[in-house]
Amino acid sequence: MITQEIKITNRLGLHARPAAMVAQTAANFDCDIKIAKDRVEINAKSIMGVMMLAAEYGSTLRLSFNGKDEKEACSAITRLFTDNFNEEY
Amino acid sequence: MFVIKGVSASPGVAIGPAVLLPTADFAVTNQHVEAAEVKAEIAKFNRALEKTLADLDESEKKLRQTLGGEYASLMSMHKMILQDPMLKDAAISKIKNERMSAQAAIFHTLQELAASFDKIEDKFFKERRNDIFDVGKRMVGNLQGDKGQFWDSIRRPSVLIARDLFPSDTMNLQENQIIGFCTDLGGKTSHTAILAQSLKLPAVVGLSNAARQVKDGDTVIVDGENGLLIISPDKYTLARYKKTQREIKKAESLLQTINHLPTVTADGRSFKLMVNFDPRTDTKENKKLITDGLGLLRTEFLYMNIPQPPTELEQYQIYLATAKKFDMRPVTIRLADLGADKLPDFPLDEFDKDNNPFMGCRGIRLFLKNPELMHIQLRAIVRTACEVPAQIKVMIPMVSSVEEVRHVRAALNEVLAEFEKQGKKPVNRIALGAMIEVPAAAIALDGMIGEMDFLSIGTNDLIQYLIAVDRVNPDVAHMYDPCHPAVVRTIRQIIQTAHQRGRQVSICGEIASDVRMVPMLLGLEVDTLSVPPRMFLRIKNRIRNLNFEACSDTAQAALLASSSEEIRKLIETQSQDEDS
Repeated sequence: MITQEIKITNRLGLHARPAAMVAQTAANFDCDIKIAKDRVEINAKSIMGVMMLAAEYGSTLRLSFNGKDEKEACSAITRLFTDNFNEEY
Repeated sequence: MFVIKGVSASPGVAIGPAVLLPTADFAVTNQHVEAAEVKAEIAKFNRALEKTLADLDESEKKLRQTLGGEYASLMSMHKMILQDPMLKDAAISKIKNERMSAQAAIFHTLQELAASFDKIEDKFFKERRNDIFDVGKRMVGNLQGDKGQFWDSIRRPSVLIARDLFPSDTMNLQENQIIGFCTDLGGKTSHTAILAQSLKLPAVVGLSNAARQVKDGDTVIVDGENGLLIISPDKYTLARYKKTQREIKKAESLLQTINHLPTVTADGRSFKLMVNFDPRTDTKENKKLITDGLGLLRTEFLYMNIPQPPTELEQYQIYLATAKKFDMRPVTIRLADLGADKLPDFPLDEFDKDNNPFMGCRGIRLFLKNPELMHIQLRAIVRTACEVPAQIKVMIPMVSSVEEVRHVRAALNEVLAEFEKQGKKPVNRIALGAMIEVPAAAIALDGMIGEMDFLSIGTNDLIQYLIAVDRVNPDVAHMYDPCHPAVVRTIRQIIQTAHQRGRQVSICGEIASDVRMVPMLLGLEVDTLSVPPRMFLRIKNRIRNLNFEACSDTAQAALLASSSEEIRKLIETQSQDEDS
């Protein structure tokens, strides 16, 4: 299992489009992917779950990956965040 | 007979039996299954899921062709929700462990999900709750086939009465025998209204509780001209509306013949007639209209239903496609009038503080506080102007002082300088003007007009601010009155001031497409009227049948009038004179 802390750096936070990107990317991997914020933990493969986090700019998320393709999944999901979901802001 | 007043969403008259759309709540018919049936129930759930996905695929395709990308992308969002493990796994576990029926499982899962969404403070997320329920409705419909049965049960041309219409209902309007519709919710610019116009169905929205007052099979009249729903009309009313219906039909076919003719009055005074263009509802018929240009491109829609402001590229693509449709004619782009009733989904601090949003931070006020938003929009506009021969005009909304115009002028010059550094220049000089809708700007216009190349009167808000009436408040909405003497005098003053300084004035509010008000506006010597495409030929026809001298007399008399009543009588008298 890999765990990773990540900070939201895109100005508008984890809104619908980034949430959709996270869920779509996560669905490409077999491993379990969970995202936690404060006391809420959700399945990253669920668009509704990711949206429910309502993660705003500056908040910190805990990502965990568990399964045989966990390494690849971790780098793919982390990249979305570090690229600010390709947003200009 | 019973008449309910609503808001006209799409013109025309429809007469027929009412059908009531089953309410948005779920009718879950059976709650539990026996242990032995669990497996079959799960299979049933999965089949309904597949079927719903296929339906959504189909709708997405159709919507892309008919109503364009905005509605279609809503469908792909719905597909993702449908495939979401939170919905699927939770529902299946309810069937398995609690022996719920598939319908009940979906219903309870959706309720739980909606409850979690309700807890979120953010408006954008909250609104997604409706999307979730829309998906659920479709799926339950596929499980019990009742919604399908509802649409199939309509065997004769009928008027649909609904609390509200969901995007999933819209396809059925086209495919079944719906000749018009009424909804309790929605306003003139709601997606329901836009839809009605593009389907050319007479529609009245905002009826508040019509759905409870109409029974299935009642004869109803949808008067999309005046925003009325008439339930069980008497013989006389029915005959009158049938006549109106025939007249509208005749007029429609007659109108096509005047498209290529100039917009001049019977006694030879010419006016410019433009359209308020909306790229979302650009139908085949609209494309055929021969107009004097684009009088108002509202850009707020670009900022709606997305979690972040539109990028320069996104905006540019839409402006470019739009400007190309008008080749060498003027294209007036209004800077986004965000705020008040047009709140985008992305967060801006200013919105939280507004207790009195129509007086608050909207239009240019909001842009000056968020210069980056304005800079991006101006860049997209200038980029367009560098590539098209159309004369691009930039209109500033909600101007109340000359400083605001100067600020925008400076920002525009800055953007022009940026483009010049890259060797790019607009094909035509970009004109900068203001929407006159704040009384202060109308009164002190002489001091501001030197900074403007053109101006346009935004009558909807001007009337609201002049009479201090909130159109949304049902207790005072009736006081909103385009015939108020203050309105006529203010319009006169604006036009006079502008003409003294050689500026042209256009009017682009609802008043410009009101056939009864047109003679007055012409008499006040407005230069241009800008109207929605669906009203274009009607207004052109109206102008061609008017006598400018008579309009002038009406306007002069109206300027001396002391009450709305007097002004209304003047307008009616002129109409009667011309009809006889």
